[in-house]
Amino acid sequence: MKRRTFLAGLAAVPVAGCGLSGTSNTGTATNGQVTGEITFQTWSLKPKYTDYVNGVVDAFQKQHAGTTVKWVDQPADGYLQKVMADASAGSLPDVINVPPDLSFPLAKAGQLVNLDESLEEAKPEYLDNAWQAFEIPGKGGCYGFPWYLNTGPLFYNKALFTQAGLDPDKPPTNFKELEATALKLAEKKVAILGQTPSIADFGLYGVTLFKDGKFAFNEPKGVEFVETYKRMYDAGALIPEALTQNYTGAGAKFMAQQTAMNPGSAYDLGKFKTDAPSLYANIGITTPITNTGSANMFLHGVSVPKSSKNQATALAFGRFVTNAENQVKFAKLASIFPSTSKGGDDPYFTTEDGTDEARVRVAAAKQLKTAVNYTPVQFSDQMREALLQQLADAMLGKKSPKQALDDAVAECNRLLK
Amino acid sequence: MTHRPYTPWLFLAPGLVVCGLFVLFPFINMIVLAFTDASALGGGRFTGADNFVRMLQDPKFWAAARNSALYMAGVVPPLVLLPLLIAMLAQKVVPGIGIFRTAFFTPVIASTVVVGLIWTWLLDSRGLVNSVVEALGGTRIGFLTDSTLLLISSMVVTVWRGLGYYMVIYLAALANVPKDLHEAAMVDGAGPVRRFWSVTVPSLRPTMVLVAALSAVNGFRVFSEIYLLSGGTGGPGGASTTLVMLIQSVGRGLTGEVGYASALSVVLFVILLGLLLITLKLNRREDQL
Repeated sequence: MKRRTFLAGLAAVPVAGCGLSGTSNTGTATNGQVTGEITFQTWSLKPKYTDYVNGVVDAFQKQHAGTTVKWVDQPADGYLQKVMADASAGSLPDVINVPPDLSFPLAKAGQLVNLDESLEEAKPEYLDNAWQAFEIPGKGGCYGFPWYLNTGPLFYNKALFTQAGLDPDKPPTNFKELEATALKLAEKKVAILGQTPSIADFGLYGVTLFKDGKFAFNEPKGVEFVETYKRMYDAGALIPEALTQNYTGAGAKFMAQQTAMNPGSAYDLGKFKTDAPSLYANIGITTPITNTGSANMFLHGVSVPKSSKNQATALAFGRFVTNAENQVKFAKLASIFPSTSKGGDDPYFTTEDGTDEARVRVAAAKQLKTAVNYTPVQFSDQMREALLQQLADAMLGKKSPKQALDDAVAECNRLLK
Repeated sequence: MTHRPYTPWLFLAPGLVVCGLFVLFPFINMIVLAFTDASALGGGRFTGADNFVRMLQDPKFWAAARNSALYMAGVVPPLVLLPLLIAMLAQKVVPGIGIFRTAFFTPVIASTVVVGLIWTWLLDSRGLVNSVVEALGGTRIGFLTDSTLLLISSMVVTVWRGLGYYMVIYLAALANVPKDLHEAAMVDGAGPVRRFWSVTVPSLRPTMVLVAALSAVNGFRVFSEIYLLSGGTGGPGGASTTLVMLIQSVGRGLTGEVGYASALSVVLFVILLGLLLITLKLNRREDQL
């Protein structure tokens, strides 16, 4: 499903200058004393979660006398520029909140501490799939403590289904049914989707995304998937904006009831309730469509840069922030899920109370046990753009689906070097 | 009064330091980076003219350069003429003219993002304009989903935003047009249209050249309008991407190709410098006439 962060949208990221010289990080010992001052940078958690983060910081400082944690929150807009500027200057904060696709280039450039080497004993504390999301495929090493996770159901608009003469209690359960439903809705001028497929959608369809160190989603199954979308697009089952839509745009169109289906999370359900009550009154909730048996998962983590002058404290704090107790508390506040092996068994994630929110939460928690972060960590923003552009050309008939995917894969592999 | 020889430099120092640090150094840095394969995380090896050779073979560069040139050609004529006509109306001293002048100047000071959002809502496939079109029996128009219409829609936004700014420049210039020229023309029996072409336009020619130069440079390096109206994608298939959008797209993020983005920036700089030199030459010719 669509790539997005769930506490804050990943903002557009204009180019920033960079220095002439590279940064060399010799780093300091990771096994020193847990003491002294560190800086902790988060991604858009203020002001909604200020009390929570301050509580975690206070608890850590109490547990480790002589430590001071300076918390810095960066807004979603410009987060990447800030990380980029700090990384090129070799002055990243001691503990930094990053999703896997942001930790990957930093780890590849040798800027992050390898947790498999420095804190191997921490690994069993986290879900395997979450830990793996911060590894460099093929090279090993884990470069971030998994933090909060999210997954979710597929939302659909029952009113639009009824309007098109479809049974609002029978949403599509597989890709074939999705196409059939889309074509029926399109006959009544109702668009089903607001976006062309993301790389994670290819993963859900069962397409091999990455093979032998190269992108490979132009395989026959990938072509078949794009052909499905092409048929839907030609029938008017995708809104015209789908060709240029990003993850937040498609969500906005669903909220405006311009599309009939959209993937989401418990967080989105809360948003519908407050921001789109007429949609909430007609909301249908179903399991995500997947050919692999595994839903898609999004996650954030915290990494420790090698440039940190106080790595021992930074590592201890990173582990503390992401421990089961703190993650469960955070998850209850923010409609997200813990990435720890123990947090998920809290009754909050296993017991329904009759509300839609609890139903989505419990189903998502169950889903997370087998969920996969389908977006390869190597898949950069430029690659996402290349895929979007090639898919647009395929939808408009400027290229065949095969040619468009071949071109997208070629560009992604060029950027991979 | 006498002063020490270095005293003027002390006054100049703060400005020079700021200019050196934030203008000159990044500029030189960009030129150096253009000859490397630097990434956003620093480093990079010297690659000679590879980035420029790649640019010549890059269809995206040519498409973006063409779009920027088209954009410039599309916005300069209306931005030279329309603000002049508005300024001529706005210079009249009639009750309530202040409101008129303010209304035209408001888009200039409005936030680019807000302006972009408003126009996106207006031109969306389900936006206000399309609702009116549908209500009149027409079919929805893909202002933001057709690459050509997206470019034209962006040009409209640029012109709309620029009207007030250039109107103020024209207002200042109109105030300097000698009244006796108009009076003499009137005595000779010239009507308002004749006076416009034979008195106002010749008197304002240097200002018109200045407005043409400014709008050409701004048009060629357009970014915000296209970026906001296309949701940062450059339109379907990226077909409406302009040169500055391409630079942003290539160089952004931790995985950005900063070396290539710098080479593109150098080319953009050379093109803009060329435009300004042409204007300078035109201006000189005006002075000699």
